[in-house]
Amino acid sequence: MYWIALRPSLDGERSAWSWRALQFTPRVAVADEALVLEASACLRLWGGRRRLLERLFGNPQPLSPAPWAQAPTALKALALLRCGQDGRLARAMKADELPLHVLSAAGGHLAVLERIGCRTWGDLRRLPRAGLARRFGADLLQALDCAYGDRPESYAWLQLPQEFDLRVELPALATSASELMWSAQRLLSQLQVWLQARQHGVLALELEWTLDLRRLDGVALPGQERLQIRTAQPTQDVVHLRRLLGEHLARASLSAPANHLRMRSLETVAWAGASRSLMPQDDVPGEALHQYIERASVRLGAGNVVVAQAHADHRPERMQSWQPARGADCSSLLANSRRQSRDRLPADALYPEWLLPQPVRLEVRAEKPQFQGPLRLLAGPQRIETGWWDAGAGGPAVRDYFVARSEQAGLLWIYRERLAVPQESAQVRWYLHGMYA
Amino acid sequence: MSPVSRVCRLDLSAFPDVWRVEDLARGKATVSSGAPVLDAQLPGGGWPTGVMVEVLQRSPGRHVWQLLLPALARTIQEKDGPIVLIAAPWRPFGPSLTAQGVRPERLLCIQADQRAARLWAAEQALRCAQVAAVLAWLPEARNEDLRRLHLAAQQHDRLLFVFRNAGSRHEASPAALRLLVEGIDQLEVRILKRKGPPLLLPVQLPATSRRMAALLQARRSLRPMSREPLPASERSHVLDRTAAIP
Repeated sequence: MYWIALRPSLDGERSAWSWRALQFTPRVAVADEALVLEASACLRLWGGRRRLLERLFGNPQPLSPAPWAQAPTALKALALLRCGQDGRLARAMKADELPLHVLSAAGGHLAVLERIGCRTWGDLRRLPRAGLARRFGADLLQALDCAYGDRPESYAWLQLPQEFDLRVELPALATSASELMWSAQRLLSQLQVWLQARQHGVLALELEWTLDLRRLDGVALPGQERLQIRTAQPTQDVVHLRRLLGEHLARASLSAPANHLRMRSLETVAWAGASRSLMPQDDVPGEALHQYIERASVRLGAGNVVVAQAHADHRPERMQSWQPARGADCSSLLANSRRQSRDRLPADALYPEWLLPQPVRLEVRAEKPQFQGPLRLLAGPQRIETGWWDAGAGGPAVRDYFVARSEQAGLLWIYRERLAVPQESAQVRWYLHGMYA
Repeated sequence: MSPVSRVCRLDLSAFPDVWRVEDLARGKATVSSGAPVLDAQLPGGGWPTGVMVEVLQRSPGRHVWQLLLPALARTIQEKDGPIVLIAAPWRPFGPSLTAQGVRPERLLCIQADQRAARLWAAEQALRCAQVAAVLAWLPEARNEDLRRLHLAAQQHDRLLFVFRNAGSRHEASPAALRLLVEGIDQLEVRILKRKGPPLLLPVQLPATSRRMAALLQARRSLRPMSREPLPASERSHVLDRTAAIP
């Protein structure tokens, strides 16, 4: 048997360390203040003890390093760990030399044992077994047998939870959302360990904080407040989640001071792994596009980060619509995707390059439209007529488009609204709709 | 013979330690601007990548596409990322851009009112691995802001164009290339700053697309456009048809 005992240096990291250990062996158990791992069955898989230890403890990021010890039995490994014998030291103490206070079962009888001259495990083992069992109970004898490997040990093995759900107490009451960031970051690093252990990538997670006050200024407060964070592609990358969380928290506000923080995974999918290109020039440093879009959408508002979607229509304002880039399919932004060649959409160099979001009514002086001075019509008219099937579009579009030249603003795309029924008294209305640039 | 031309006559390859000012800009990757006249004046023969190109204008948004479209079309063909427009004065109109080689699906428009938000969006776009080019309208940017953007473009080797008001032409700028663009019927590009000798005369470029120019020419001469008939496949527009039919 080959046992490793490890003690997480931070109390909150115990479950994260157990998840991490579960990646290497299915036999992980909690023993008092430490975790014990049994790894004899999977040593060949990891390429021997040294390789296993290197993988397990070599780079514990994002967790903090933990002291550990190894021995043929769990109790001995635990005892060595308690003695402060780091596993890296070549010579481990013999079982007979170990002091009694590192054996949990002997904890209640230390004073008596000391008085009869029993200081080490070896001393205790030399005492007559029957008398020992009568005097101190069978538990001590059993523990001693287990520690020497004479009797099998049994533990309740830990299992990886299906859902990530951790709740921590904040080190101090948080009065603003940004103060939650420190604790949330710790939770995120534990989430990463959980995701790695489950081989999953996270799509959505929820941050929930418990409010310290029930009422504030006579208004009843909810017990908890929540914040949902979503990302377009499943990820195990905590850096992106942290930035996203930071943007969200910078915008969130607490209605009262918070004392507890809880993180929950809402949606996870199997993680396919991140593929990298063989060619060095494809491996560009920097974040992925969808990460940029998500962060910008959170910070600037989803309606301010938009992509165009082309439509087959004859009215200029309907030829394209602007959708929030966040929910839209990002693949069209990337390389020449197959979709582009499929549909034939209106394309003409005679249209202006800029389109005004709303047509601007132009002033008319001496029957000539004015925009920063009088306009001279250069080409036209191009007639665009009706869209009666769109009832909500503010009436049918009946227009004549012209290309006009302004001394100040260059070439403009303007239109004259034609009335369905010509009226003598009605003035002709001109609008500016686009700019040639 | 002027002293300058006498110097040029010397065979400089005989002196390995002597280099010309133009050599400073060589070795940098460039994207052709699509206009040979302009390419001849730009150091390296095109728009440089990995540096900030500053375009000064009297009114924002004018001439942008006419100046940059060929280069942008080439860039998005080569790279698979989008072009990010930050705080563009109006919305780009897809049908026109499609006809000139840039599909509107490849544009990502970001609107931001505040200076800090615009700068943040521009810098983060430059740091994004997949973005092909960044066009930013930063009328009130300060020198240190621009320096930051310039460094980000340098680190990630991106095509970056910053548009500012012509009023800031006398301010210091970290841009390696500064242009002043003006004109209505003709695009006059003055190169205010470049690596190499200063350019005294403005470069003249057409102010409109080829089709638009042909249409306007036909209208002006009040004659059917028979001298340079367009192929029938390109003749899809109503304006064009009235011009072509006598």
